[in-house]
Amino acid sequence: MDSKHSSPATISDHQPSTIERLVAFLDERVGLKEMQAKMLNEPLPGGSRWAYVFGSILLFIFAMQALTGTLLMFYYVPTADHAWASTQYIIHDVDYGWFLLGYHFWGSSAMVVCVIAHMSQVFLWGAYKKPRELLWIVGLALFGVVITFGFTGYLLPWDQRAFWATTVGVEILDKTPVIGDFIARFLKGGPTPGQMTLSRFFVLHVMVLPAALMALAGLHLFLFRVAAPAGPFTGTVEELKAKTDYFFPRQIWKDMVGMAFVFVSICALALWEPVVLLDEAAPDPGDYHPEPEWYFLFYFQLLRLKLFAGEFGQFMGAVALPVAFMVLLVALPFIDKDPERNIFKRPIALISWIAIMVFILLFTVASVINREFLD
Amino acid sequence: MAEDREAMSPTKIGFSILWAACWTGIPIKAVFAVLAMTMGLVHFEGRFGLAFLIVFASPMTVFAVPIIIAMFETQFGEGIGLPIILGMSIPVDIWALGLVGRTFFLERLRKEPPHDGLGFAIWWRAALIGTFFFPLLWCIVSRVTEIAIAASHSMAEMESMRQLFDTGLPIAERIGLELTIWGSISSAVLIVLAVIGISILGQSIRRMAEIARPVSANYQGLITRWDLMRVPTDQGLMLTSLTGVGVVFSLMFWSMLPVTTPHPHECCKRPDVRVEPVFKPVESLSSSAQRIATLAAQIGAMEQQKVATIDQKEKGKGKAEGETAKDSSAKTKP
Repeated sequence: MDSKHSSPATISDHQPSTIERLVAFLDERVGLKEMQAKMLNEPLPGGSRWAYVFGSILLFIFAMQALTGTLLMFYYVPTADHAWASTQYIIHDVDYGWFLLGYHFWGSSAMVVCVIAHMSQVFLWGAYKKPRELLWIVGLALFGVVITFGFTGYLLPWDQRAFWATTVGVEILDKTPVIGDFIARFLKGGPTPGQMTLSRFFVLHVMVLPAALMALAGLHLFLFRVAAPAGPFTGTVEELKAKTDYFFPRQIWKDMVGMAFVFVSICALALWEPVVLLDEAAPDPGDYHPEPEWYFLFYFQLLRLKLFAGEFGQFMGAVALPVAFMVLLVALPFIDKDPERNIFKRPIALISWIAIMVFILLFTVASVINREFLD
Repeated sequence: MAEDREAMSPTKIGFSILWAACWTGIPIKAVFAVLAMTMGLVHFEGRFGLAFLIVFASPMTVFAVPIIIAMFETQFGEGIGLPIILGMSIPVDIWALGLVGRTFFLERLRKEPPHDGLGFAIWWRAALIGTFFFPLLWCIVSRVTEIAIAASHSMAEMESMRQLFDTGLPIAERIGLELTIWGSISSAVLIVLAVIGISILGQSIRRMAEIARPVSANYQGLITRWDLMRVPTDQGLMLTSLTGVGVVFSLMFWSMLPVTTPHPHECCKRPDVRVEPVFKPVESLSSSAQRIATLAAQIGAMEQQKVATIDQKEKGKGKAEGETAKDSSAKTKP
């Protein structure tokens, strides 16, 4: 090595570049380096894992949904007279409008899939147990927000599918005791879905829910940092210690690959099946058989069973069952106090998860077959 | 612990390597697939999920898919895109299998990876097994599913089922019951056959591991070694190359992406809307005024014509009456 380069005189002569000066300026005022160290130097027990990418992917999908949603809002008109026509305009006349709408549509599905994958990972890893109970509950609230996003966004194109899915959805909410009637009236704003319904769903979709999601996601991240990552449920102390790593760079790399894969997958879905509108919303369904978004199909098929017919059956299927399931999920960390996290040593948890997944798959496929039967 | 590693089942070996390698390769293969879709080289129609599985498991399906298409006249997607995607998957799969294989040998089997061409060695074995095994699996599962569907239909129509309800089994229950029956049978057969296929691959990998020499480093040393295998020597160069490739692919994507929807569905074509001409108030007023003046003139002319016709009729009537009176007076003369 040339001794001239390493001499103290040369080091003191080093002039900071513009970027270095900008970083120093920001660091002095906002504590940039400390913030960076806090965010990136989080130790991960057992090292980075592909199973941990879902949280970051969800944040990425939300950012992309916000971006594509904003671009769509430049052309979309949230009135009963123009919603359908403006969506047609986006699909047929706006440059790449079909792709933006397709990306936004499939992005919402990807968000639901990733939320369920994230929840499954937390459940199977036993990461909801003490001291992460609050993290789990806030996560459940985020799940509710994501589902409501899908429900409110479904009405906006104002075609027959949107109109009837909303009608069915609001009718289900109407069956809730005490508050059901109020919620249904509040959402519809009249006896049948109309301008008031569209306005309310639009405001919820573009203002209330994004704000709620950002607040809850911030709280979720804060609680995650406080509780620290749970790490893998298997492995000896020696193995865990040997593999422990920081969040940067390996986990960030995995997160980035995961995000890129999800982005490419959503693009592929938008190219494979671009959004098409049915006829404009009308109070007469005609030949159309109302049905909800694909991730609710299993539940829709469940409600078709004779068991859930009649006033009491409808109440049981539409209200009691989902509410009981959600209450069970909320209470889960308080019911399951066993510190054992290995899923292969928690047979009830493993069997329950498999049963729920098989049930969802079976009833979703059954719903598709039922649709073909009706057609 | 060492005994556990020695006794690791072929299914576990095969599954561990294939599962990790498939996920390692899929992000790159997905980029090729999207570019092919953007160029309109492939349309997956209704079989998107199946197409994904084929591309995902390309180490085993790469030669099996053309055979299945030729033997059973099955289509997974229109266009030449699928063979192109499968062809481009080959180097990706060799790289992914090599990376995962070396890690697996070091960490799980505690053996030195046999040689530099480990990726290719695992790939050709997987492709060969897939070429023979997948068409067989396709044939058996299709046949079993057909038989199971027919059997479940017959079961649902049995008299004992009809007696459960007055009108027979309700539709939703019937669909659920039939699906559970044939879905369980098909899934069981599919899982058993898939396990056999993976186990055959695992066995051939285990044979490779048997002749490999054990590693001497301690666990920490091993972790560092396989971890460093995944970290490029020149990270700056890798990041720059990745960014460059990302920019090129993004530009390709946006330049090839159709501006309007590439395949509008027959069911939901764009509504035929007639465009209203642009409203120009001054021109509209003057043309309206002109039209009103023309119409007023026409009405005036029509009224004049009407008056003239009435006058003519009245005159004609008076003349006729006068002639009639003349005739009658002439007749009454003696």
